[in-house]
Amino acid sequence: MKLLEYQGKNLFAKYGLPVPRGKVAEDPQEAEEAAAQLGERVVLKAQVPVGGRGKAGGIKYISHPQQLFAEAEALFRMDIGGFPVEKILVEEWLEAVKEIYMGLLVDADTGDIVFLFSPEGGVNIEAVAASRPEKVFRLAVDPLAPPPLYRLRAFLRQGGFQGKILEELTKIAARLLQLFFAKELLIGEINPLAILPDQRVLALDAKVEVDDNALFRQEFEKKFWEEQDLLEKEARHIGVTYVKLNGSVGVIGSGAGLAMATMDMLEERGYAPANFLETGGGITEDLMYNALKLVCKNSQVAGVVINLYGGVNPIEKGAKGIVRFVRETQSPPPIVVKALGNKQEECWETLREGGVTVVTSVKTEDAVDSIIKLINSRKEKGANLGGEEVNRDEHTA
Amino acid sequence: MSILLNHETRAVVQGITGRIGSVQTAWMLEYGTKLVAGVTPGRGGERVQGLPVYDDVYAAVEKHGANATVLFVPAPFIRDAVLEAIDAGIKLVVAIPEHVPLHDVLRMKSAAEKNNVWLLGPNTPGIISPGIGKLGIMPGNMFMRGQVGIISRSGTLSYEMAGLLKEVGLGQSTMVGVGGDPVVGSRMVKILQEFEADPETEAVIIVGEIGGNAEEEAAAFIREMKKPVVAYIAGRTAPAGRRMGHAGAIISKGQGTVESKIKALEKAGAMVAFKPSDAARLTRECL
Repeated sequence: MKLLEYQGKNLFAKYGLPVPRGKVAEDPQEAEEAAAQLGERVVLKAQVPVGGRGKAGGIKYISHPQQLFAEAEALFRMDIGGFPVEKILVEEWLEAVKEIYMGLLVDADTGDIVFLFSPEGGVNIEAVAASRPEKVFRLAVDPLAPPPLYRLRAFLRQGGFQGKILEELTKIAARLLQLFFAKELLIGEINPLAILPDQRVLALDAKVEVDDNALFRQEFEKKFWEEQDLLEKEARHIGVTYVKLNGSVGVIGSGAGLAMATMDMLEERGYAPANFLETGGGITEDLMYNALKLVCKNSQVAGVVINLYGGVNPIEKGAKGIVRFVRETQSPPPIVVKALGNKQEECWETLREGGVTVVTSVKTEDAVDSIIKLINSRKEKGANLGGEEVNRDEHTA
Repeated sequence: MSILLNHETRAVVQGITGRIGSVQTAWMLEYGTKLVAGVTPGRGGERVQGLPVYDDVYAAVEKHGANATVLFVPAPFIRDAVLEAIDAGIKLVVAIPEHVPLHDVLRMKSAAEKNNVWLLGPNTPGIISPGIGKLGIMPGNMFMRGQVGIISRSGTLSYEMAGLLKEVGLGQSTMVGVGGDPVVGSRMVKILQEFEADPETEAVIIVGEIGGNAEEEAAAFIREMKKPVVAYIAGRTAPAGRRMGHAGAIISKGQGTVESKIKALEKAGAMVAFKPSDAARLTRECL
């Protein structure tokens, strides 16, 4: 989960990383009040959890206080990368004589923690990394033995710094490292880390991503932002992973790989998936019932293919949830269930008794073909009866 | 033969007294797995599914010569349980749970590498050498003894692949689930090397997913392999930038796409299948 810039900077400040003076505002009035305490020249920064904010016009430099209200108002009307601007950070406007990049992150390719550092930071860091990789320095960090101060100093010296500035950078690097481990960050990035005309070094931006899996033992400021999609939000409550897609066939899988393979095979047959839903290893009757209900709330869904394996999951209990959904729902969409593994016979029996189509083949494409056939025959019938589709939309809406 | 899990394997179950640990222990025993003990701190002296329970792994190693462990310890506690097992001298560690904090995974992985330990997972179905035993949650009925090695990032797809192989008359020497997280304990390429050296294994199937670069890295070794390699990569239709359930299955900035993986694998001489049943058929054809 990504933190907003101001949340990242609060965290930086707590760990002794120098940040500009600033305040969060939730409306133009508050922005004006905040600016009054900061001086004539301020920066207004939209707080959204996506990159490319500056290029989208989400950062405004204010040199005359009388411009501020209108500019703030304009920012609050913006929508950046699908996120409405609900907060802006009002900060003192600082000019940098040099912009540096400093970041700690987990390299998923190698499974190592890497400390990245470039004396040529700023908005074009990605271009620098691509065209002049020799300007980006890497230090592999062993989580069981993080580098001591002297090792960091020698690492940062490669950027061409010396004396006071090098010492300041070393201190900042050590604190970033401390924060990274203490709060179990996935990403802790400062870009730019600015050297000011008076030789102060300040973090002008903060990109912090925290590990959802560590939230049980880490405290962060409570509200980050809400999921954009209501169904995805509901999925989190049910305990499944749901990603909304644009097609018409609902997909439920008892594993991520299986659900993705099912989606791939639907596409191959020319049918786009309406969603990705993975149950994880905690299937119960209720979870299955809720998952199916969630998938069918999307009015695009014309049928659902369910692909399950009984390994850690009790598929015989999942079957009961499916049957309950079919019983309780007025004209449910066609549903096909492929289920194999431990207690598969018990699972099939429950489903068949409940009138649900069961595929016992090991081939996922057989389940995909079966749901496509059912959807098409339903469509034909619907056309003959004059609008069964419409009826279904009504009760799922 | 088989790889990693063989007739010499004497395993403990860490977290045996939990709901999942106890149920899965019963399935593993029923499958014929040589389990020698269970471990749960504070529950020493009890018995679960007929196995003695100890308070720590050291005792299980001392009393039963345990050399492998399968963990059903809840994610918040698994790091120390794995570090304990490694410290006790266990050489095969199978970490089943999902949702393990990444910093814990990094520490577990670092310790495993320093001690030459095979760490599978986290977020893995485990490992099965059909006819010998299984340390994990896979349904035994999908697997059959034979000459194909499977390496999988996905649990459910590994079951499907085994079932599809059975349909074309092929079984497995060993199926290794490496885990679905962005960082896992053992690299795919290392397991590939084991399969290449295993006299029983005649072909290897890689079941991959979008995200990361494990498949690309494996490709460099496939080039040198004598045994045929068939691959299937799930997630062609997954949207970029979204996590697809498995924390590891995310495409970022054009890296880790199905296309980049297929290209690397094909260039190395692997056969890449469009769907799992094609992978089974291709494997049949080259044996």
